[in-house]
Amino acid sequence: MTTRKKHLIYKAALFLFAFIVAFLPSTALRNKEVNSRVIVGILGLDGDGDKVSLTAQYVMPKESQGTTGKDTVTVEGKTLDEAAENLNTALGRRVELGHCSMVIVGSDAKVELLGSLMTATDVTADVWMAAADGKAKDLIGKLTDFMKKTGSTDADFIAYSARKAHIATNTLLGFLSDLGSASKTAYIPLVEMKSEQSEQGGNGGSGGGGSDGGGEQSGGDQSGGEQGGGKQEPSGMKVEKLAVYGENGRRCVLDSKSARGVAWVSAPVEKGTVCSDVEYEGEIIKGVCGRLLKKYASVSVDEKNNTATIKIKAFIEPHGDKFNKLFAANSKKADEALIAGYKKKIKGEVESAYYDSLLSMVDPLFIGREAYRYHPKFYKNSYDYYSISVKYDIQVSLK
Amino acid sequence: MKSVTQQVNNTATGSETTKNAGVTNTRETKQTTGKQLVAIIFILSLATKMFMLPVFLIQETGRDGYIVLALYGAFDLLTLVPIIIAVRMADVDMFELLSSVLGRVGAKITVGVFWLFLFFKLNMSVSEILTFYNTNILTEFDTSMMLIVLLVFLAAVGTHTLRALSRLNEILAPVIVVCLAVLVAIVLMTRFDFANILPAVADGKRFSSALVKHPAWVGDFAPLLLFVGRTKTKKRTWCFAAGSGVIGTSVAVFFAIAMSAAFGNVPELVDATTNISNILQFSVGNVYGRIDMFSSVLWSVSVFIEAGLFFYATARCASFVIGKSAHFIISIGNCVMVYIVQIFAFTDPMYFSVTVTSYVCAIGTAAVAVIMPCLVIVCAAVYKRQKRLSKVGEN
Repeated sequence: MTTRKKHLIYKAALFLFAFIVAFLPSTALRNKEVNSRVIVGILGLDGDGDKVSLTAQYVMPKESQGTTGKDTVTVEGKTLDEAAENLNTALGRRVELGHCSMVIVGSDAKVELLGSLMTATDVTADVWMAAADGKAKDLIGKLTDFMKKTGSTDADFIAYSARKAHIATNTLLGFLSDLGSASKTAYIPLVEMKSEQSEQGGNGGSGGGGSDGGGEQSGGDQSGGEQGGGKQEPSGMKVEKLAVYGENGRRCVLDSKSARGVAWVSAPVEKGTVCSDVEYEGEIIKGVCGRLLKKYASVSVDEKNNTATIKIKAFIEPHGDKFNKLFAANSKKADEALIAGYKKKIKGEVESAYYDSLLSMVDPLFIGREAYRYHPKFYKNSYDYYSISVKYDIQVSLK
Repeated sequence: MKSVTQQVNNTATGSETTKNAGVTNTRETKQTTGKQLVAIIFILSLATKMFMLPVFLIQETGRDGYIVLALYGAFDLLTLVPIIIAVRMADVDMFELLSSVLGRVGAKITVGVFWLFLFFKLNMSVSEILTFYNTNILTEFDTSMMLIVLLVFLAAVGTHTLRALSRLNEILAPVIVVCLAVLVAIVLMTRFDFANILPAVADGKRFSSALVKHPAWVGDFAPLLLFVGRTKTKKRTWCFAAGSGVIGTSVAVFFAIAMSAAFGNVPELVDATTNISNILQFSVGNVYGRIDMFSSVLWSVSVFIEAGLFFYATARCASFVIGKSAHFIISIGNCVMVYIVQIFAFTDPMYFSVTVTSYVCAIGTAAVAVIMPCLVIVCAAVYKRQKRLSKVGEN
């Protein structure tokens, strides 16, 4: 074969290669592919006896640009795989779960389903987790109404909490990894919907969740559709509590104080607000707030003394409204008072998390995990979560 | 008339170099440079070690997977030493060295065994490429079609020179380095819980089982023997080559640590879809967008280079054993064999897994990975001595 012929063959092969790559079915038939799919933004998981229930908040791409509005659909199956398959059938298109940005877990969902969700479907490991107080299906319905109302297109609102608020968030793999750790405990933030009375068709009745004395709505997963003749419409979200899971499912819901305690120790939270009552020269100054700038947290276990030490170092920038005068007059004293106030607050929250967890036999501060990592023999032979004594070493620096 | 080795390697005399300048199969004695050798060592040290191996190791031994991978990396670095020495010592290529010392038949048998090793490693890397793209990127694209596209690339590599492949790698290596840097930065920025790799070797039995079962992944530097006698080197090339191998292996171990930390508690969940891209963001969620996906896709190009080099080496060994330099035909034959192995055996992950973790493959691969470079060194030393003696005799 002459060199010229060889060159021709190479060129033809290269052209063929480029042609195939350029006109792969996924490229050439992109419109057709997109139009045959449903994009799921939020997926809800409920367990109903022996059945698995999947609720999907979805949009359907249109042939022209854009998508249909958000809507939800709920399907059931004996297994997760079957339910996922039924989701395709229910919507008449291939359900695209790879774009799902949040999984909401109902109170009765079995935790082993989450492992199957990661391995048997296209849901990715980094998807955000949220817990519903009751059924995930109900929460997704209300979330969808809220998102329609606000025009929100982004489903991963938990991402805000992860970055800007003092809330312990978790991802699917993070949750499963925590649950598989020596502590056998994992947490998910509990999402509740605030609701307000719509005037539509209403007669001014006062049913449902109005505001409490403090001006904050009571929130909660209020299941009443229409009360007092007025319709309950979602007006916002509340992410304050923490659903804590053990091997057999949900063990408890930590209140906002304990949830903050968990966030101090176990979550990579570096933002948020810290408010504390500060005692200064015999006077209690209420609600002195500061912005958390950075924090370091660690748990160490001393096998000899059977103790665990929770160490937190927080860098806080106090808001200047109440202490400006004091700073000017005697900044050192004011600093000390502030630091003492914040220390007390942080310790109170972490202590609350620890004692609430003890009652529910869960370990969201991951003391057991630390014991296993650094003292595996001690963990195996003599570690007992209930007998270990916990110490707190809280350091606060003001900026 | 040219010798068989010259035909196999597209080497020829100086006059032919001038005559064939600009021809696709550039004919020259020194086909590659020291820079290209350094770049290719970097790619070989991490390419396949970052694909399926961490997945298999974590499935087998949980959080200790990275230690096994580090040991394999160290083993490979040890095999790199004799290769570097051989490249430095020899003036003629591997085929000529073996022929002059072992005789024609002995050399052919040795190269035949080496061909088997290379063909096995080639199929491993092709299988890994197909698995990666099948499960992560082109999930609905037919495997056999994807394989044909890949084989077109490999056939092109087989018909070109070592210089062409080295130059391609030289161009792509900086891109791959940048992508790896991005991936490393993402891992570090997400405050990855690296402490989850502790405690180390908690289950000794599972650890030793994983260590014994997976040596099929060692020997990634073996095709570098094709660089012997064909590389223009400078004084410090050897330092850079060794450094490149150490850095590449460290990068592979770093990502294995990240994978082991992510899946240490749940090794049953790790599979082909949970590659490095997938686990990067699990600790903080999808905060950084999908820059990781972009980087992973570009990084995966490194395995194409490795597969290309194994294909090239396989084709040249076959060429030497057959005694013909019909590179086009031999490449096509290689492609057909790869296609048969992939479609009729390795498309089933079970077959692939059972084959690569069998003791025969493990022992065979490790043995060839050690023996071949050592043999080439011995042959180079003997060849030098023979040459010196013949010079003395002439004088």
